[in-house]
This record gives sequence, C-alpha cells and structure tokens, in this order.
Amino acid sequence: MTAIIEVKDLVKVYNGSIRAVDGITFEVAEGEVFGFLGPNGAGKTTTIAVLTTLLQKTSGECKVCGIDVSKNPTEVRRSIGLVPQEMTVDDDLTGRENMLLQATLYGVEMKVAKERIDELLALVKLEEAADRMVKTYSGGMRKRLELSEGLIHRPRVLFLDEPTLGLDIQTRTTMWEHIRDLRKNSNMTVFMTTHYLEEADSLCDRIGIIDKGKIMALDTPIKLKESLGGDVISLKISGETDFTESIRSVEGVLSAKREDGSYRVKVLNGETVTAPLLHEISKKGGSVTYVSLERPNMDQVFLEYTGRSLRDAEQSGSYDRMAVAERMRRSGS
Amino acid sequence: MIRETTALMVRELKHWYRAKIQIFMLLIQPIVWLGLFGQALPLQLPPAALNGAPDYMSYMSVGMLAVTALFTCMFAGMSVVWDRRFGFLNKLRAAPIPRGAIPVSRILAAMIRAVISALMVLLIALIFTHIPGLAGLTVTSNFDVMSALGMLLILVLLATAFSAVFVAIALTIKTQETLFAVINLLNLPLMFASAALFPVNSMPDWLQAVAKVNPLTLAVDGMRQLLFSGSVGIYPLWVDILGLLAFSVVLVVIGIVVAMRALKEK
Repeated sequence: MTAIIEVKDLVKVYNGSIRAVDGITFEVAEGEVFGFLGPNGAGKTTTIAVLTTLLQKTSGECKVCGIDVSKNPTEVRRSIGLVPQEMTVDDDLTGRENMLLQATLYGVEMKVAKERIDELLALVKLEEAADRMVKTYSGGMRKRLELSEGLIHRPRVLFLDEPTLGLDIQTRTTMWEHIRDLRKNSNMTVFMTTHYLEEADSLCDRIGIIDKGKIMALDTPIKLKESLGGDVISLKISGETDFTESIRSVEGVLSAKREDGSYRVKVLNGETVTAPLLHEISKKGGSVTYVSLERPNMDQVFLEYTGRSLRDAEQSGSYDRMAVAERMRRSGS
Repeated sequence: MIRETTALMVRELKHWYRAKIQIFMLLIQPIVWLGLFGQALPLQLPPAALNGAPDYMSYMSVGMLAVTALFTCMFAGMSVVWDRRFGFLNKLRAAPIPRGAIPVSRILAAMIRAVISALMVLLIALIFTHIPGLAGLTVTSNFDVMSALGMLLILVLLATAFSAVFVAIALTIKTQETLFAVINLLNLPLMFASAALFPVNSMPDWLQAVAKVNPLTLAVDGMRQLLFSGSVGIYPLWVDILGLLAFSVVLVVIGIVVAMRALKEK
C-alpha cells in the first residue's frame, strides 16, 4: 500500500490546555475512501484543518502526497481539495461563477476550466441551475456545488468534512452516490469525517473511530463489525427435533442456541453461511419456516470501542469541548 | 498572483453592484446631506475663508466626496468579517494562492468602489447647483483634463490609504460587533477633525493640529485647489498629493503586513 496521507503522533492543543487531537497515528492508502467516525468535538475537523494546512499542529508529523504539511503548505494545497463543513459557496455569484473563481484560485487554465465546469456541474446535476444565483439554491444544491468546486483541479486527495451534515435523508443519499461515483471513476483518495454511522459504513473502505482526540479503532467496516463476534442468523424450524448439533457442524458457524423452536446462530459472515446452513438443515429433514440475518451495526461497534453509544457521546460532555474547539478554530483562523 | 487577485477583486465588485440597495443607500446619504444639512446650515462665509469656494455648499460638497470615499472603505471591512463567518476566508487560506492576494484584492476592490461612489456624489453635487431651490457644487476654476486627472489621483490615493486600514482592521478583528465599535470610534473623529466640512481656521488650535495631518484634509485641500479659482490651500497642491501618496504607501504596507499576520495559521 502506498500511503498518501501519513500521520504520526499528531497532537493539537488549543490555548495550551484543550487537547483536541491527542496523539493520533494512521495512514491512508492512495485511492482509498477513509473515514473518521466520531461525535462532535472528537477532533475530526481539527485533524482535517491540520492536514489541509489551515491549522498549525502542536507536535507530530503529517505528510500528504509525501509532502510535509508544515514545511511546504503551498505544495500540499495544490494537490488537495477541501469541501469544508460550512457552506462556503458564494451566495451572490451564480453556480458557474463560483466554479470559475475556484478554478482561478487553483490555477486551472481558463479553457480547461470551462470544459471541466460543464462536466462537473453535470456530474452533480446542477447544469440547469448553473447560471442562477446561489442564494436561490437549496441546501443540498449548495453542498453539491461545494463538492464539485473541490474537484475542479483534479486533486489527488479530497477532504470532505461532514459532507452530509444538516442535509435531509434524500439529499444525503444523493451525496453518497456522488461520492461513490468519484471512487469508481478515478483513483482519487477521499478522506472524510462523519458522525453518521450509516455513512461511514456504506462509503468508507476503512474507518477510524475517534473519540476525545484519540483513535479507538481502525479497520474496514466489515472487520470492525466482525470483531464484535460476527453476524446473527435467526431461524425457525417446524417440528420438535433439535437441530442444534447439525447447525454447529456447518463451517463458519461460531455458536448456536435453541430457544423454544427458534435458533440464534452466530456466524462469521452471514451472507456466505446462510445458504450452506439451510442446505444442511433440509438434508437432515428440517423445514425452515423463518430466516433473518442480523449484522452488528456501527452503533454497536462505536459502543464497543468507546464505551458509550454515539448518541450519548453527542449529548454528553463532548458538547462543551466542541463549542470551545469551534470557537477557537474560528477565532484562531 | 495577478490572476487570483483580479478574480477575487472582481468577486467583491460583483457583490457590490449586485446589491442594488447598497448603492442606493450610498447615494441617499449625500443627497440628504447636501439637500437638508446644507440648507439648514447656511454658513455665510467669504470665499477667502472657504478655500476659495464661492459658497459654503460648494465647499462642503468637496468634503462630501472625501467623506463618501472614507465611508465606503469602512464597509469593505464588513465583507471581510462576513467571509470569515461563512468560511470563505478559510477556503481562500486552503487554496494555493499567495496569501497577499487576499488583502490586496480587498484593498483594490474597496478603492474602486470608493472612487466610483465619490464620483457619483460629485455628479449629484454638480446637478444640484442647477436645480432651483437646491445648492450644490459650483466649479469656478478652468477645469481641464489635468484637473480631472488630479481629482481622480487624489481620490484613488485617499481611498487606497483608508481601504488598507480597514481591511487590515477587519482581518485582525474577528467579530462584527467589535468591528462596528472600531468603525464608529474612527469615523466621526476622522470626519470632523478635518477640513472636509468646516474650515480649519475656525477650529481650536489642538484640533487644527490634528486636522492638518488628517489625510481627509489633504484630499479636500487638493481637490478645492483644482475646482475653485483663487483657492489658497492649506498646503500647496503638490504637498497634498505627495502627502496622500506617502499616507497610502505606508498604510498599504502596514495593512498588508498586519493582514498576513492575521491570516497565518495558528
């Protein structure tokens, strides 16, 4: 794996006391969609700010595309795209004007820019609204424009800070599709942060679970879920015969429990084990009347690694940390 | 550098001319001043006391040009604060552009806006003279192309100096409230401690001393010499212009240095 983002022992302390990022180490491979999952105030945005050269780190080492972010920020800026959390598109310009301004700021030649703008606006389905003032756009349209702005110079790494924060479910799904398309059509690396579990689960190749400035776990969504003990298949088999032993004999089954005619079967991978399991039961003369497959969700994963559910983390003490960190980030810039 | 700066400057100017209400308000102000304030205060002073202006309204109209330039520059700061608030400033900081492009584009845009606004006020003042019942600016000199260029140069220099100050202040100050406070603290003293609205001779000594080094005084003093025949300036015309040039160079340099420090990552 060629690492395109290398972070070693990154620490960021605000005002000498608030450790927003507390010694994190990770690598992101080229072409990967990497996500930071964590509650507000966990240190996600701070990490992005350091990696995108907006914030000076306190200590540690950060390289993006092999370039040290503190030593050569301008070079880093050239090779990355940033879609920030806030809506930063300009209300009083049209969509196209916004894109043109972005192209100029990133040194894209005018002729190339014009072609690319058409292409990108089509990609995010904004062709028709392109010449309207952005103030007439909906929240989802702004976010899509923001996304396409981040792509105008074909960055090697795209940073998405909470790409679907505050969007309704439908718009969120559209954003996900756009991000998936990107992944399919290019070798661009995406570094994103989110506090939505489904988002991390469905988009990211690998997820870092971050809480209170520390990485608590880092792996593929499947492995993270597996580490919780795999999937659960629930079965109902008609008749009085006990099939527990035959179920246990199927490869990939970790454990099986019978509770008045229902079976709870823990397996490593529900998708591949279900068919052989059903086959085995029917071979032994059982007739299955009900099957369901339950996979551990990211909420359980978060709970497992941080000791609290994501929802609790959002509501509890981390709120104040967030407010403080946010204020500092704004005033510091 | 030039390409990015121009693009950012054009953005600012687009904001301005698209916000029609802003331009409207900007014009209302001098109309109210010239139309009401000027009528209510019929100062009867001889041209000698008025820098050679034939009447007080002509004298004050010139002051209005300069004050309009000053006020327009002040509002340039507001857009900087808004841009910080909406994250646009961070977007610029993340872009591979020379950081200097950020303050320079603002200063240029503010300067252009201020000069255009001042010229609009000039036009209004010239029209007002010809409307019965109203008073405005009566030009008594042989106003030629050179005088016109001189006026333009004075306005450009004045506006550059002020916009540099306010852009730097706005980039350093983080919130709108504080910026308002600072603007209010600066604008009235700047306006009254100058020859813009009243002749300096009638001021107490200490105020005269302040007024005589106020860039607004230099600007109006120079413009009056260009517009009124027989105008004896506080300073010779070339001193006014050189003084303004010095002011704008120094303030732009300080402004950019301060702005760059404010834009640095912490």
